[in-house]
Amino acid sequence: MIPFCLKMACAWGTNSGKITPTQALFPLTSRRRKQFLWFVLPCLAVLALSSCKRSSSRDDGATFRVNLSTEPPSLDWSLATDHVSFNVIANLMVGLTEFDRQLKPAPVVAKSWDILEGGRKLVFHLRDDVQWSDGQKVRAEDFEYSWRRLLDPKTASQYAYILFDVLNAEEFHEGKIADEKQVGVKALDEATLEVTLKHPTSYFLSITTFEVTYPQRRDVVEKFAAKWTEPENIVTNGPFLLASWKHENEIRLKANPKFFLGKPAIENVEMFMVNEKTTAVGMYEQGQLDFLDNDSIPPLEKARLSKIPGFKPVPQLRGEYYGFALDRKPFDDPRVRKAFAMAIDRSVFPRILHGGELPSSSWIPPGMLAHNLKIGLPYNPPEARRLLREAGYPEGKGFPQVTLAYNTQEDHKIVAEAVQGMWKRNLGVLVRLDNIEWKVYLKRLQNDPYPVFRDGWGADYPDPDNFMKLFTSNSGNNHTRWKNSRYDQLLNQAAEEMKDDKRRRLYDEAQRLLCETEVAIVPLFVRVESTILNSRYIGLEYNSMQRLILRNVRLNSTSGVK
Amino acid sequence: MTKQLWNEMRRSPLILASLAFVCLVTAAGAAAPLIAPYAPGGFEEMRLLEAPSRDHWLGTDELGRDVLTRILYGARVSIAVGIGTAAIALMIGALYGLISGYVGGQVDNLLMRIVDIFYGLPDLLVFILLSLFFGRNIAGVLLTLALVTWVRFARITRSQVLQAKELVYVEGARAIGASHARILLRHILPNILAPVLVTLTFSIPAAILAESTLSFIGLGINDPYSAWGTSWGTLAQDGWRAMRSYPHIIFFPALAIFLTILAFNFLGNGLRDILDPKGR
Amino acid sequence: MLRFLFRRLLYGLVVLWVVTTLTFAMLRALPGGPFDSQRRLPPEVMANIEAKYHLDEPLLKQYGRYLAGVVQGDFGPSYKYLDRNVADIIADTFPTSTLLGLLALAFALIFSFPLGVLAAKYRDGWADRACSFVATLGISVPHFVLGALLIWLFSLKLGWFQAARWGRPTSAVLPMVTLGAAPFSYLSFLIRSSLLETLREDFIRTARAKGLKEIAVLWKHALSNSLIPVLTVLGPLFAALITGSFVVEYVFAIPGMGRFFITAVTDRDYPLIIGVTLVYTAVLVVANLVVDIFYSLVDPRIKTR
Repeated sequence: MIPFCLKMACAWGTNSGKITPTQALFPLTSRRRKQFLWFVLPCLAVLALSSCKRSSSRDDGATFRVNLSTEPPSLDWSLATDHVSFNVIANLMVGLTEFDRQLKPAPVVAKSWDILEGGRKLVFHLRDDVQWSDGQKVRAEDFEYSWRRLLDPKTASQYAYILFDVLNAEEFHEGKIADEKQVGVKALDEATLEVTLKHPTSYFLSITTFEVTYPQRRDVVEKFAAKWTEPENIVTNGPFLLASWKHENEIRLKANPKFFLGKPAIENVEMFMVNEKTTAVGMYEQGQLDFLDNDSIPPLEKARLSKIPGFKPVPQLRGEYYGFALDRKPFDDPRVRKAFAMAIDRSVFPRILHGGELPSSSWIPPGMLAHNLKIGLPYNPPEARRLLREAGYPEGKGFPQVTLAYNTQEDHKIVAEAVQGMWKRNLGVLVRLDNIEWKVYLKRLQNDPYPVFRDGWGADYPDPDNFMKLFTSNSGNNHTRWKNSRYDQLLNQAAEEMKDDKRRRLYDEAQRLLCETEVAIVPLFVRVESTILNSRYIGLEYNSMQRLILRNVRLNSTSGVK
Repeated sequence: MTKQLWNEMRRSPLILASLAFVCLVTAAGAAAPLIAPYAPGGFEEMRLLEAPSRDHWLGTDELGRDVLTRILYGARVSIAVGIGTAAIALMIGALYGLISGYVGGQVDNLLMRIVDIFYGLPDLLVFILLSLFFGRNIAGVLLTLALVTWVRFARITRSQVLQAKELVYVEGARAIGASHARILLRHILPNILAPVLVTLTFSIPAAILAESTLSFIGLGINDPYSAWGTSWGTLAQDGWRAMRSYPHIIFFPALAIFLTILAFNFLGNGLRDILDPKGR
Repeated sequence: MLRFLFRRLLYGLVVLWVVTTLTFAMLRALPGGPFDSQRRLPPEVMANIEAKYHLDEPLLKQYGRYLAGVVQGDFGPSYKYLDRNVADIIADTFPTSTLLGLLALAFALIFSFPLGVLAAKYRDGWADRACSFVATLGISVPHFVLGALLIWLFSLKLGWFQAARWGRPTSAVLPMVTLGAAPFSYLSFLIRSSLLETLREDFIRTARAKGLKEIAVLWKHALSNSLIPVLTVLGPLFAALITGSFVVEYVFAIPGMGRFFITAVTDRDYPLIIGVTLVYTAVLVVANLVVDIFYSLVDPRIKTR
């Protein structure tokens, strides 16, 4: 509309200069005039009246409404990459295993499994009472097909690498092996799935909880090709069925009466796509939504909303850090990096972000093996100043102009502006801020990282391996360009080690290298998801990997239905 | 002409008030470093989100920064965006339209086809695409907005030149062999001034509004420590997300935008009425 | 006439071609690619994805492939919404944006008429000033502020309307008002000035001289005459409303095309961006064409150049 104003502003200016037909005014015979008038106005009126569709929504509590915030990019679990898509898929489907409350893999479609050859081979025994929504049985072949499809170069899945621990998986994906049968996943019979790995892998069972490993029906996928995830085509095996999908608007699920663990208590789920957080909060307060999470709550409204019943913070396996570009001045000097790290007062973050974020000077988040709060550099301005002086920049004098970059997002901006202020006050260094939109930001990080940059990581599977592997020498996600062979060696040892206490020691040493002695990154805080559940309902599970599980949601019998 | 204009303007209190307000805001923006009660950046962790008080007349924002200070510094950015955009667009557009209209013939035809193509582009999309290109600083935003706005000036100038060319005394001047430059400067320019001035006045608030829309998508100007730091649009956008809990951090920036745009529009309306009495 | 039409049409096509080419070139020049994701992909995965979408081909070939597709009405697959075509997405969302635009236009028309007439009737009086003040308000507030204000007042405080979303008749009211505020202002001014101009015409004087009542003169003779300029701006106005509605769609969570555009830009979903841009441009081209035809129909004096 604004450019329109520009246009019109100019049209106003040309009252006297009628050169284009659009702007000319001229007399007409009166009959023609009237015809136009009587034709156009009723048309508009009819359009205005007929335009709105009717829809009714009864409020008997049988329909649970959540906000997804964006359209899920894909409901094909071989292609999905984001938590919005996975949150829909996780309610439509079940896989071999799922996380229990302690984030340990628990049996679902697999009733048990054997770990053979010192962790190199896994054999899953499937239940025989799990049904697809069209009545067919879920068989081991469906897993075999899905895993091979994920790895197939033609599928071009972004998550293909998650199975690279499987024998020949990487080679098949690269096209070095053409025969999919050589990939180490095999249905021995209808109810037995055998997985052969390249080497013992301590965390592999966790990967089988991940949606991309869920089974698929070859006949359905091949018949409908790209359209197989549309409601009329899709075949699923989980607690809910995909009833309808109005793109960019809403997804409706309905309870699956044939779900092998029992039909869910709520009959329908409506998932809306409201991008704007402020709008989503308004909808909740007006009773149009029953559940909100961080995607739907603006940080600055959290203080107020935390007082309403049903508010619950859920710590996440998601860390935030600032990284340094280590291959260039001035951050090639570890003293400078230490100084900048020690000039950050992490206790501020929960107060400015209002979501109960957990300040953390170490990288592995709580809830994971080897989490250790004692590791890392604490806030210490005098020591920070001393280190900076030692590095040749007393009170920040002579320090080159550097940029702190973050991708465009409200909370990143708040954090960056706060840290900018702390560095100015504690070190006398004024860094420039640069906010860049996400895709450009990623490209820059990969090709030419900013001197200081913000990044974060959310766990794919709840094992420190997933977090620590980011910073190995050959990791594509290591934007700091830090290379440390000792660190790499520690991580390899820890991945193949099957004993927890040994792994913990290895990760402790690695974390000390990463955040204390070498300071390639400065961990800032661990995210906490603020969730609000309408108190009419109970039983909603929101786990620390941003997964929303709705199958146990039911009306709270004590609160009564209004 | 200037004197006449002033005499007319003096008679309308609304125009006078608008003019005074616009001047006041511009002056406040220019003098922000002198009159602002606090430094533009800074982070006061003990004074987050305070309501208006004696220390902070308009309260503090999510990082404890003084809202009044931010609005004063924002004034210079927003006003600069408005006036700068209009000025750049005027320069490009007027020159273009002048050439097109004065030379005429095939050149005019070609130039106007190009303008038509620009005119056929959806402006907001062009804003967004261009601002990705030029970045999020004041120069980038200025350029982005100007590149969309100049077309209007080109059209108006051309139409005015075409009309002026037909005037008797211009033809007379040409007949006695006056140079092109002289004809343009002495005879044509004064004639096209009025409508261009009106368009200019309306372009300023439109540019301010456009910048605030860019801010809404996160493409606005933001650099809290710089004296050319954060636009009103960005301030309003920040505050917008906290509207329910802390209304003061949206209310004041939004009010500043609203009043300024209102004043410019009143001024534009008034100027148009005076300069183009036919429409009255 | 036919020749004129043909020329305008051809011209519109040229504009569309230029826009396609420019957008295509500009998007490829921007840093950041559609498949950059936080979990950095191993090179072989990346290569497979690029091969699937023909991104590994020379630029010129990609451009040719794209143009050929567009001619056949195929805008290619969306890079982000993996199982959907750009054409599908546009077909799904464009009607909603159009509807919203129409509603806003209707709102603007219905309310600007009385205001414009009132202002013209009592020219320079207090009513005129008041009307002009009200009309100026409409173009002085950013959409997102106005939208938020309306939601706060009418849905949260008063509970009259839904806070957001599309579907019920009442849910269209707030977005309609938000989007319609600016055209409402503009139309009020236009009606006023056009009416004043008509009132100076000879036939009005004649009517007055015949002793008709002032109100009859105004409604019967002047108003219908001054509608022409209003009708002629409806085309471009409507196009501007469709292409300018994305903030409103965003704030009110309306599943229209504009909302897609913003996310498509940040996601570098090239085919979707070009597709949406093309549709918007086409809307503008068609709107301008309609105006031109309209003119040549009602006034043969306008040269069909």
